[in-house]
Amino acid sequence: MHFNVKALPLAISIALAPAAFADEATDAKIAQLEQQVQVLQAQQTKSLTEKFNFNGFISGGYITSDNDAGYNNATTSADFSQDTKLGFQGTFNMSNQTQAVLQLMMKGEHDWEVEAEWAYLSHRFDNGVKLRGGKLRVPLFMYSDYLDVGYAQPFARPPSEVYGTIPFSSYTGAGISYDVEFDDSTLTLQGFGGESDVRDSAVEISNLMGANVSWTDEVWTLRGVYAQAKLDGPITTTVNVPLAPGVETSAEFTVLDLNDETGSFIGLGASYDNGSFLAVTEWTRSEIDNAYPDTDSGYLTLGYRIAEFTPYVTVAYLKTQDNDERLPVSQPDVIRMIAFNAERMAYSAGLRWDVIDNVAIKFDVTYADEFGDTSGGLDGNTLDDTTGKFVYDDTVIYTVKFDAVF
Amino acid sequence: MKKLLSVFALSLGVAFTASAGVVVIGNNAAGDMSMSDAKKAFLGKGDNSLVVYELDEGNPTRSEFHSTVTGKSDAQLKAFWSKQVFTGKGNPPATVASAAAMKAAVASNPNAIGYIDEADVDGTVKIILKP
Repeated sequence: MHFNVKALPLAISIALAPAAFADEATDAKIAQLEQQVQVLQAQQTKSLTEKFNFNGFISGGYITSDNDAGYNNATTSADFSQDTKLGFQGTFNMSNQTQAVLQLMMKGEHDWEVEAEWAYLSHRFDNGVKLRGGKLRVPLFMYSDYLDVGYAQPFARPPSEVYGTIPFSSYTGAGISYDVEFDDSTLTLQGFGGESDVRDSAVEISNLMGANVSWTDEVWTLRGVYAQAKLDGPITTTVNVPLAPGVETSAEFTVLDLNDETGSFIGLGASYDNGSFLAVTEWTRSEIDNAYPDTDSGYLTLGYRIAEFTPYVTVAYLKTQDNDERLPVSQPDVIRMIAFNAERMAYSAGLRWDVIDNVAIKFDVTYADEFGDTSGGLDGNTLDDTTGKFVYDDTVIYTVKFDAVF
Repeated sequence: MKKLLSVFALSLGVAFTASAGVVVIGNNAAGDMSMSDAKKAFLGKGDNSLVVYELDEGNPTRSEFHSTVTGKSDAQLKAFWSKQVFTGKGNPPATVASAAAMKAAVASNPNAIGYIDEADVDGTVKIILKP
């Protein structure tokens, strides 16, 4: 009897067990259905939000130099506007295949004037060909497409030896691209054509056309690009003209008048990024059939990620290749020689610190020298009439900036 | 003593299932997926009929998945998508908050794929790749 009393609760619990299991199953089923309802609701709201995406990026920087040579427009006084910029992008997906993209930028460097860097319509055909028309970035360099999105770049800024050789970064026209998908990699073929102009200058760029090819397996990236264009208009510089002793006025002076000259550009690039080790290199050559400089340039950046820190070093160079077209035989030639001949080496050491999700802080010190008998391609480096030499033969630039995306 | 041992074994078992490893899941109607297709899908390339779901940023399963399949760290993935977004090439996949929400999302759409820890897999979804 004693035994039976003890067994009774067990018998009861056994009898109740199937009901309890059934309840659990129903609960699970209800939970699952609730999840599905949530997903369907989310999908419904998503069909609205998916049509429109809004993103932005912001960079704020402090830049200063040991002299006024003007590397990246740095001077001895602190400059907060040169590297400070704000961008907003709206993407409207009209269908799975068609979208409109507008990216508006405001840069401290350009007095916060609102500029459209991207403004285009794109359509992907069923065969995978993507056509874009409107205002687009000229895809000359590895970082051209996201030149202002500092967050997506390892360094404080793309090396100006390479990125500063071409005075325009966007064009109005059309582009066509096609992705060839391999097992573990993607080959992208791209063609582009249109026209552009140079900021704060009367030079116009027409008949711009080019093609690039890039291949990536997300560790290695290789690319090559060729482009050509016609350049037309006066290249001017501001000179100080003495009116009377101690009285000067500034005047626009035409250094060279371009008359529909054809310029060409070749660029090669490679990068490697295995998650910890990072290497990026680019080499470019730009040529034009007259006294306007033909320039070779290149850089190599190496970096290494240690948790949220990525220290990096960069070596970059640029050199004009046609100095013999600007021999000092006449006064205009002398002026062109002074204005256009350029060579320099630049060495950078920096650190990218991924402080929090979406925000990186970068520190960079760049030292530039080996200008030869040139200004080093630096606007602030003037010729000293008394010595016949340029004022500066090197420069150091310090940068602290933050880059964020949202 | 026996009881103590079985409790120990049980907790060990739980510990093991909790770190079973991340798997790619699809709708029950879906076929198997290759590693390279999965890599492309989660980087917004390749077959664009797929509907890709990610776990929220900061979820450890998300980090584990990407270090195994796309080879990208959290920071690299963030930089990758900011590059894609600001060049108009694509937007990151929709995110869900939990393994349960992931299963529900994948179960409700025959073209959907996602990833969860293998320990969370049940009959509503199918493992299409064990990376």
